[in-house]
Order: sequence, then C-alpha cells, then structure tokens
Amino acid sequence: MEGRSYQRFPTVKIRELKNDYAKFELRDTDASIANALRRVMIAEVPTIAIDLVEIEVNSSVLNDEFIAHRLGLIPLTSERAMSMRFSRDCDACDGDGQCEYCSVEFHLRAKCLNDQTLDVTSRELISSDPSVVPVDFASPSSEYDNAENRGIMIVKLRRGQELRLRAIARKGIGKDHAKWSPAATVTFMYEPEIYINEDMMEKLTLEQRMSVVESSPTKVFDIDAKTGRVVVVDPEAYTYDDEVIKKCESLNAPGLVEVHPKEDSFIFTVESTGAIKASQLVLNAIDILKQKLDAVRLSEDTVEADEQFLELDAHMRGG
Amino acid sequence: MNAPDRYERFVVPEGVKKVSYERDTKIINAASFTVEREDHTIGNILRMQVPISLNFFEHLSFQGVLFLQLHRDPDVLFAGYKLPHPLQYKIIVRIHTTSQSSPMQAYNQAVNDLDKELDHLKSAFEAELAKHSREY
Repeated sequence: MEGRSYQRFPTVKIRELKNDYAKFELRDTDASIANALRRVMIAEVPTIAIDLVEIEVNSSVLNDEFIAHRLGLIPLTSERAMSMRFSRDCDACDGDGQCEYCSVEFHLRAKCLNDQTLDVTSRELISSDPSVVPVDFASPSSEYDNAENRGIMIVKLRRGQELRLRAIARKGIGKDHAKWSPAATVTFMYEPEIYINEDMMEKLTLEQRMSVVESSPTKVFDIDAKTGRVVVVDPEAYTYDDEVIKKCESLNAPGLVEVHPKEDSFIFTVESTGAIKASQLVLNAIDILKQKLDAVRLSEDTVEADEQFLELDAHMRGG
Repeated sequence: MNAPDRYERFVVPEGVKKVSYERDTKIINAASFTVEREDHTIGNILRMQVPISLNFFEHLSFQGVLFLQLHRDPDVLFAGYKLPHPLQYKIIVRIHTTSQSSPMQAYNQAVNDLDKELDHLKSAFEAELAKHSREY
C-alpha cells in the first residue's frame, strides 16, 4: 500500500546569525510547515528552569511565592535539555524529580550585614551541575557591558535580612509554563513581491510620485534622484499595511503599485532567551517536530483491526 | 481550584491510544483519525500534506498554471482537521479518497513525506550553518 510521494525539498538561507538571534529565509515549502516550526520553537522545545523551591529562611520584603516565581523565570543554560529526562517519566527517582537524570539542584544563601542594600541576583545561585547555570549575558559574544552586568535581580536585602533556599530545576516545555520557553520572539513573514506599473507611473507628476513614496509608513520606496522614477529600495520593510495601494486608488491609478506575498517563501526571525543558541533552537524544533510526527503514526493494531474489518465486510457482501 | 493539570495538555493518559481510526459508516473511503494531545502544529501540516485533487471548476479556470497542481494526488477528495474544543486536547483529521486509494494510505503517505521533508530541512539548515560559521 505504498502511495506516490509528494515530498518537497525546502531550502534555507541564513542571513544573520548571532548566539541569541537568527534571521533566515525558508523557501519551497508552505505556511503550514513554517507555522509548525514557529509553534514548536515557542512552546515545545525543552529547556531547564527552576520548578521547585524550598525556602529555609526568608526575611526579605518579598514573600516566598513571589521569590519562587522570580526564580522560575530566570533562564538557565539548557544545552543538556534535549538529552535530559522529563521528571514525570524518569524511572530512576520514582518521579519525585530529584535525581541527576531529570533535575539540577541550586542553592542560594545571602544575608545583608551592613547598611548598604544588598542586591541578590542570579549570580548568587550555586548550581550542582556546571553545565546548567543562570544565563550569563556578560559572555564575550554579547554586546552588554561587563561592568554593568550584575545578573538578574531576584530581591534586595537591607541590614539584617536574609534569604536561604534550595531550588530544583527540571526539564519542561513552554506549553506547560512559559518559563520553559526558549524563544523570546519567533516570527515569520511572506516575502513580498512589489510591482510598479511604469507606464502608469510615467503619467504622474513628481509631486504625486512623492506622495506615493511617502504614503508607506515604512521606507519601502524612494525616488531615483537621476531619473525621477519611483523605485523599491527595501521590499521587506513592507508590512502589508495596504497604505500604498490606498494611495494609488486615491490618485485614480489603481494597479499602479501591486504587492503579492510569495506564498512559498518565508523570512524567519528567531530570538532566544539565551537558554540555547538561536541556531540550536531551530535544529531542536525540527527534531521535536519529527518526534511528534513519529508519535502520530498509525499503530500496528489499528491497521490490523481495519484489515479484519475489510475482510469481514467483503465476506458479508460476498455471502 | 478545579483547573485541569497543565500536563493534561500534552501527556497522553494511560489506556488511551495516541491515534485512533474510524471509518465513515455511510461514505466509502472516508475516515476520521482522532489524534490525542495534539493541536494545530500537527493538524495543519498533516492537512496540507495530504494532497487534494482539483475539482472540476478549478481545472477549467486555471488550466495554464496547473502543471504543479497536476502532480498532486488525484485520489484524495477531501482532507481537513478540527480542534473540537480548546479544552479537549485532541484533533480530528478527516480524509476522503477515491477508490484508487484509502484514507489510511493517504495518512501514512502524508506522515512519511513530512518526515522526509523535515530530514531534508534539517540537513539544509546544518549545511547553511556550517557555511555561515566558516565565513565569519
């Protein structure tokens, strides 16, 4: 029962790549694949985040729950996450989520002893696993100033106040809680194709052409200084706002400018929280999507049951 | 208080099948696939991958540009999916084919093709990544 294959062969072109940012073109596929990738990147690529907090002492101004929530939202480096186990299907620890396969332990101890306010930041979190630590934005590749980087603020303590706690970080996905989402933003847009009807444009005065150029809220068009013609300078700045189209209509020249989205061509922008690299985020998303597809394959017994049904059916008809 | 647990959204409960298949009782070669704990991510790519033949009118009006479309499987008459309710964590994929094929065959083919497409996408992305890291 092999059917004909209708497989497509998408192509990719990376335009810009930084640790926490990627911009690439995806072509020769359709919006359903682009959107599936986007959805998986946001909600289903796993990371590690603090999930359980045991507070020993907390005499700060923030209550225990508030601090636990703030700890959960701190991004942790999660290269390990893909190979880690979810604590709910970890058999090494009966799912209490406290073994090395499915969890990482953190400790935090801070006490303010002098009159100056003490800032407790993510840097004070001591990890049991050197590969899982709060994301350090002061890494050399980052543009943030080292002197200014003091980690992510958790709470401020005044003289005599103290915070002591133990936290368990676990693997999870953004669908469960947004703290596990590795994506800050993931967007894609159709690549626009912009046509200018030169014959119609000829008939317009320079003033009218200027008004066409200026009607777009983003800088898509410009006027060639030499020839005085309207040219497209940056098609991707177009936001599908239709302002230019409306302007053309008001000039009594519908069809002067036409914009068509290329429906098999997408421009992706991926920003990571720092938990995993942006490039790794895309690759992990493809892997996760493949796993999901594997999971929705029909099981053997479903196929068998149907074959039996067919035989029975043929028998009934025949008899 | 009585909110459902968050994991309910993506953990298939024990004793429940991930994919179940139900033939249509009235229409031959039509069937519904109920996929537990999945949403638009899977539903939409499956629906789009199951190729749908063109109906008569489309055929007449776009004769010139049909080349690409004619490559598609003329055996699938309908493919769609629905998410019945946001708190019922399942999707229903419905496929209707001609007698030359079967819904099960079309479904399997769609999953296989998507799997291969993603393999291709992954190697394409990795190749670009390698190229990009060499350049800088």
